[in-house]
Formats: sequence, structure tokens, C-alpha cells
Amino acid sequence: MTIHLESTINGRSVGINVDPTLTLLEVLRENLFLIGTKEGCGVGECGTCVVLLDGTPVTSCLVLAGDADGRDVETVEGLAPDGELNEVQQAFVKSGAFQCGFCTPAMVLSATALLRRNSSPNEEEMKQALGGILCRCGAYPKILEAIIAATGEGA
Amino acid sequence: MKRLKQFAYHEPTTLADAIGALAAGGPTARVLAGGTDLIVDMKIDRLPTTAVVNIKRIPGLVGIEDLGDATRIGALTKVTDVEESTLVKERHPALAAAASILASPPVRALATIGGNVGRASPASDLGPALIVSDARARIRGVEGQRDILVEDLYIGPGQTSLACSDIITDLVVPNPSPGFGSAHVKLGKRGSGTDIAMAGASASIIIRNGVIEDCKVALASLGPTPLRATIAEESLRGREAAEEALAEAAVAAAEQATPIGDIRASASYRMTLARVLTLRALRAAVESAEERGAS
Ligand SMILES: Cc1cc2nc3c(=O)[nH]c(=O)nc-3n(C[C@H](O)[C@H](O)[C@H](O)COP(=O)(O)OP(=O)(O)OC[C@H]3O[C@@H](n4cnc5c(N)ncnc54)[C@H](O)[C@@H]3O)c2cc1C
Ligand code: FES
Ligand code: FES
Repeated sequence: MTIHLESTINGRSVGINVDPTLTLLEVLRENLFLIGTKEGCGVGECGTCVVLLDGTPVTSCLVLAGDADGRDVETVEGLAPDGELNEVQQAFVKSGAFQCGFCTPAMVLSATALLRRNSSPNEEEMKQALGGILCRCGAYPKILEAIIAATGEGA
Repeated sequence: MKRLKQFAYHEPTTLADAIGALAAGGPTARVLAGGTDLIVDMKIDRLPTTAVVNIKRIPGLVGIEDLGDATRIGALTKVTDVEESTLVKERHPALAAAASILASPPVRALATIGGNVGRASPASDLGPALIVSDARARIRGVEGQRDILVEDLYIGPGQTSLACSDIITDLVVPNPSPGFGSAHVKLGKRGSGTDIAMAGASASIIIRNGVIEDCKVALASLGPTPLRATIAEESLRGREAAEEALAEAAVAAAEQATPIGDIRASASYRMTLARVLTLRALRAAVESAEERGAS
């Protein structure tokens, strides 16, 4: 059995037939080759699979393919469509806000979603917004520093 | 990748069709709401599932509505929206607090209130908060519609009294009486939010002329279901809302707790948490009542 999805993915309309037992994470990585989105735990705990669904960060390992139909999905690939990094990405580079980089797509997407909603969040709000994403390398202080820099504060 | 096993997938657009698909699928057909429990349970093989009935295409199951004497929360309302609702914050502080510390933001944005009740986890944050708020669940099934106290839905770990073709459509929370206050607290491994409770407690209280007229306490991760601490409640009725009374009630609550030890915490640590968290929940409920004008 397959189902048909009509979604907007990184700003482009995409129509595909997929197995309904796939998760959105699997569709992105395996059907669309958008491998920026990572699987850590597969069960909602680590947050590395975060994508923006209609602008909101969600753990894509827990979303069934059918729930992406008619929705707007943004992955890390969509943040720099022409290779031009967005402010959050630039701040991450400048601050060196990663070590292995595995959590970076989720961190960058969540921070971007936060700044779109609230252009001057305080530190507590930043920590809250990223609270669901584990960084195995413990790069949290640099990540926070990067987001603060991206708000234009402390730059 | 952790793959899902094959299952039949349905996206009904009416409640009647959803109930039909569930009835046809039998005991291993499951309702899919936010999926933050179901997909995990399927991936780790905890819940045999041969059919998934995604109810999110059915209109009318999302939203928070003021019914005048109660608040109606559609079963598919996201935990994030419960957390952010000013109506919920004003009327049902324990529920707003529980929603704000359930899981992490990217999980909360998927998780629904109906799914939390449907999963019947002993560790549920919303369960205790709904119980101390006297919430009822509205159910649609083969035989029509009925209302049932959320407290009466829970019959064991992961088990509700619902038939397999029953669907929770709404949670209805009555308006609090004058002098009311409520609160929810928990302790998880990753700080207060983002993680399932090692233990948690909700309390509601009605204070008139400095005296506790009524009180409810419900515990999380301290028994096989979200658990009422009835002896603690009884000990508080008619007493002054003072620290000594609250501390005694907290001890009584711990005596009623029947925790297990697991990877999150040992049973004996949970017994300590039962007392400590009940005390914190009661103090916060008294504070909430005072803020809301109880005297
Ligand atoms: C990483 C992580 C952390 C978590 N932390 C917490 C936490 O701190 N506190 C907490 O309480 N929970 C926590 N959870 C559990 C979960 O997020 C919540 O229980 C959530 O509210 C479930 O809602 P859902 O819509 O995702 O349910 P689903 O997964 O869609 O469904 C859950 C169960 O209920 C049934 N169901 C769903 N909707 C209905 C309905 N309308 N009628 C009848 N049956 C229904 C389903 O068949 C299924 O068995 C966590 C989960 C994860 C993955
Ligand atoms: S892979 Fe989705 S949360 Fe870990
Ligand atoms: S940089 Fe390695 S996981 Fe965060």
C-alpha cells in the first residue's frame, strides 16, 4: 500500500507516493535524500531529528508520513537554499557552536524558529526552546553564545 | 533506523468512520493522535498494532472553548496549546503547569491531551492535573456518547476502561469554585521539563475564611495509575491552610503511594519524592488560591 503526499518541502511543492508505515524522518532521508536531518534515538528523546512542521519544531521520528500531507516542512537544507547561511547558521560558525555537528541541524532549526517568533528572546527562553535536543559533545555554552549573537545582542 | 512493522493505515474524516475502522480492526487497531506515545510503543514493540486509525482529519476535535460553566478542550488539542491558553491558565492552573513541563517543546508540539489520557501512563503529567480539576472525558463509541470522570478511566498501567472502538473527543473541566487554587509539580531526570516524571504531584484546594474546605491530591509515577491520595485529602479538610497541616498530609500521601523501582528511580527514592512533591504541590496550590483571591 502507498499513500500520496502533497507537501511543501523547503519551499518547493513535492508530490510523492510513500509507504504509510514510514516516518517523516525516513521519507526525508530515504525518499528525498535530505540527510541533514539526523536520527539519534528514534523515539523522541534526543531531538536530533527536529524539522519545522508549519514553522514549529517537531521530532520527525514520531511523525507518520501521512501527517506531512498538505503541510509545510523545513529541514536544515532549506535554511540556506542558495548556499547563503542564515544569521543563526552564521553565528554558529562564528562561535564554533559544535564539535561533531550531529545535533547542529536540530539546534539551528529550533533557534531559527524561536527567533522568527520572538526576535529578542532571553536566555531562559533560548534554553527552553532547545531543551529537547541533546548535544552529546556538550557544546551547549557555545550554542547559547551563538544564539545570543544571532539576536544581535552581545555581538 | 528503528522501523515500524507493517500495519493497515486509515485516515477517516468522520468519527463514525473512525469508530467503524477501529471496530473492524479489533483489539490491535489503535487510534493515532500526536503519535508521541503510540509510535514509540510500536517501535519498541510494546503494543501489538495491526491497524492505525489516524483521527487528525476529523474536524471538530481541536480547540479550547469556554462553555460558561466549564472549559471544553478538544482531544486533539496540542499540549503546547493547553500550556499557552490564557483560559486554562486562569481557570485551571494545575493543568497549565502540567502541560508546560510535559516532555520537550518538539514533543509537546505533537502530543495531544486526548492521547495523554488514552495512553494511561502512570507517569502522566496531565492525568493528575485533570483528576484534581474534576475533569471528565467525553467519549464516542459504537453505542453513542458518554461522559466519564478522567479518574475513572484509569484501570492499570497503560490501561483504560475504554472499549477498543471508543474515541475520546473532549476533556471537559468544570469552573473552579471561589477560593480555589491548584498546582502541579514533578521531578524528572532532565530538569523539571523535557522528561518523564520520576514522580509528580498535582493538588487542588478550596480555602474559605482561612480553612481548607476541600482538597484533592493526585500523584504521578507513584502507583499503577495516576493515583488519588485520599487520606492526605481527608486529613486536610476543615483545617487551617498552614504548613504543619500540609506537611502531615504529605506524609499521609507517601503512605498511600505504591511505587515501583525502574530505570528512572528506585522505589524508596520515589517514596521520599511522594512526600516532598506532595508538600510542594500543596504549598503551590495554597499560593495559587491566595493569588486568586481566597481568604
Ligand atoms: C521523549 C518523550 C517525553 C515524554 N515526556 C512526557 C512527560 O513528561 N509527561 C507526560 O505525561 N508524557 C510524556 N510523554 C508521553 C506523551 O508525549 C504524552 O502522553 C502525550 O500527551 C501523548 O499524546 P499523543 O497525542 O502523542 O498520543 P498518541 O501517541 O497518538 O496516543 C497515545 C495512546 O492513546 C490512544 N489515543 C490517542 N488519542 C486518543 C483518543 N482521542 N481517544 C482514545 N484513545 C486515544 C492511542 O491509541 C495510544 O494508545 C513523553 C513522550 C516522549 C516521546
Ligand atoms: S531521533 Fe527523533 S528524537 Fe531522537
Ligand atoms: S556537536 Fe556533537 S552532538 Fe552536538
